Amino acid sequence: MTEAGRLVPETRIRQLEQHARDIRREIVTMVHTAQSGHCGGSLSASDIVAALYFDVMKIDPARPRMPDRDRFVLSKGHACPVLYAALALRGYFPVQELSTLRKNASRLQGHPVSTYLPGLDATSGSLGMGFAQAIGMALEAKMTGAQYRVYSLLGDGELNEGLVWEAASSAAKFGLDNLVAIIDRNNLQNDGKADDIMPMEPIDRKFEAFNWRVLTIDGHDMAAVVQTLESAAKASGKPTCIIARTIKGKGVSFMEDQREWHGKPPSDIEFTRACKEMDDAEPDCTETEGGRR
Amino acid sequence: MNLVPAKIPTRRAIADRMLQSGGQRDDFVVFESDIGYSTYSYLFGDAYPKRYFNMGIAELGTMAAAAGMAAEGRPTVVCGYGVFLTMRALEAVRSFVCYPHLNVKIFSSHGGVTAAIDGVTHQATEDIAFMTTLPGMTVLVPCDSASARAAFDLCLGFVGPAFVRLMRDPLFELYPEGTEFRIGGSHTPRKGKDLTIAGYGDMVFQALEAADRLEQEGIQAEVLDLYSIKPWDQKSLRESIQRTGALLIAENHQRRNGLGYELAAWCMKEGISLPFAQIGLDDTFAESGSYPLTLEKFGMDPASIVSSARKLIAEK
Repeated sequence: MTEAGRLVPETRIRQLEQHARDIRREIVTMVHTAQSGHCGGSLSASDIVAALYFDVMKIDPARPRMPDRDRFVLSKGHACPVLYAALALRGYFPVQELSTLRKNASRLQGHPVSTYLPGLDATSGSLGMGFAQAIGMALEAKMTGAQYRVYSLLGDGELNEGLVWEAASSAAKFGLDNLVAIIDRNNLQNDGKADDIMPMEPIDRKFEAFNWRVLTIDGHDMAAVVQTLESAAKASGKPTCIIARTIKGKGVSFMEDQREWHGKPPSDIEFTRACKEMDDAEPDCTETEGGRR
Repeated sequence: MNLVPAKIPTRRAIADRMLQSGGQRDDFVVFESDIGYSTYSYLFGDAYPKRYFNMGIAELGTMAAAAGMAAEGRPTVVCGYGVFLTMRALEAVRSFVCYPHLNVKIFSSHGGVTAAIDGVTHQATEDIAFMTTLPGMTVLVPCDSASARAAFDLCLGFVGPAFVRLMRDPLFELYPEGTEFRIGGSHTPRKGKDLTIAGYGDMVFQALEAADRLEQEGIQAEVLDLYSIKPWDQKSLRESIQRTGALLIAENHQRRNGLGYELAAWCMKEGISLPFAQIGLDDTFAESGSYPLTLEKFGMDPASIVSSARKLIAEK
């Protein structure tokens, strides 16, 4: 379900899809280079993060601490390759720096550290903690009348954390309609199917019962993603939760919906295969003005 | 030493100063987890409702939200009980307050067994260990109203994390209003030449009482109030123990990983060899009961300090 929003032109959707493909390529490349990191949950969130950083969020890479910028808190901090890739491709720092992921002295720490890298709005990585910090960031805007919005991306496994529900309660209490939580509902977590490890369904009715507005979308349908993120950012008196149905490892066939690709780096052979697949998935260059790099 | 009984506990004194300061500066906010009538943060909340956030009984969520607001540059105070703030919310304090070195000030009541009546679940007897271990954390423990008010001003006077341990019940007033306190400072409420008793918070009063009794035996004990636990006043301690030649640490905390361990390690590093002993919980939990009887049972009352002091003097 999506709400009526700006009709996003088809060409714009195609551009954003291209950005998502570029992000996916950088994710797989940096995790392969580092031989460490989380591909699966980064790939499932790539379309959402592309929509946020290349269309929806009010940001300026030249002014990463601009006071009225929209904030993004990656509460599922282990998926930081998707965020690092988006920030680099958006111009916050050189794309070449992605190859330093998880290395000593790198600004691209194993989990995101706000003090290290321009464009990171919060330190995260301990599940539930990013979302709970996002409450404080949205409260600050409510208190001061600042117009920025706070987007926080959570994993579906992350919903197991009790802290998520402490935060959800307080967001409703304070009427944080400047806060948008996006659940990357890929139904896989470290040890297996999210629905088996700790069943959290009905997630929509849970958030509704916590007095949130809930929207459910296909997290890989770029038009739906963009339109829903835009409609979510409208004042309604309630915080909004977007449940984005996704596929873990999306874009690399052998990683898709496979538990073991939660936190496994690809081997050289697997990396070559993934690159071939991603090359084959590229549309004709002439079709997109967003352009391949 | 004739001390004036306090009318209010340190938790109330710091809340009073917070209320007063709220009218003088409009930048800081206060987070509470449904014990505002106990921490007295409600005084601030009633006066400045738009700057007061009661997050319900959810200390972890409270601390993380405070970190989020502090990440926006907002000076943020979090009030609560020591056991919950330093244990349930410890990870948020470590990874999301101290790691990004955010401007969050933690006012933590029920330190040590000053909350003896409430039982072990409400006695913060490991809080100093947890908080002093965190990189960049400033730790203060005022013993009376004047030092508690000063602790508020010191905390709000710099950008970065700080922890203030407070007491549930009123004890005594020691310092006249206007006494100067500083981060890394100490006071010496009693001078002496035979041994140094270093303490903080309520134990300053137990040490002063013990020093009175020791005087009747002809022993001159010096009492050092290390109200700033991290950083602490190395210069004053060095000067004191160079004169007295013996050191007794009195703390309402586990001996293990408390200030005593810090001072002992410092003495070894500095090559200072002297008779040394600790007063504090000896690898045990306390129990519920009255404050004085609990101190007595667990060897932290003036009589225990006197007895330990005698042994140290004999070792000199």
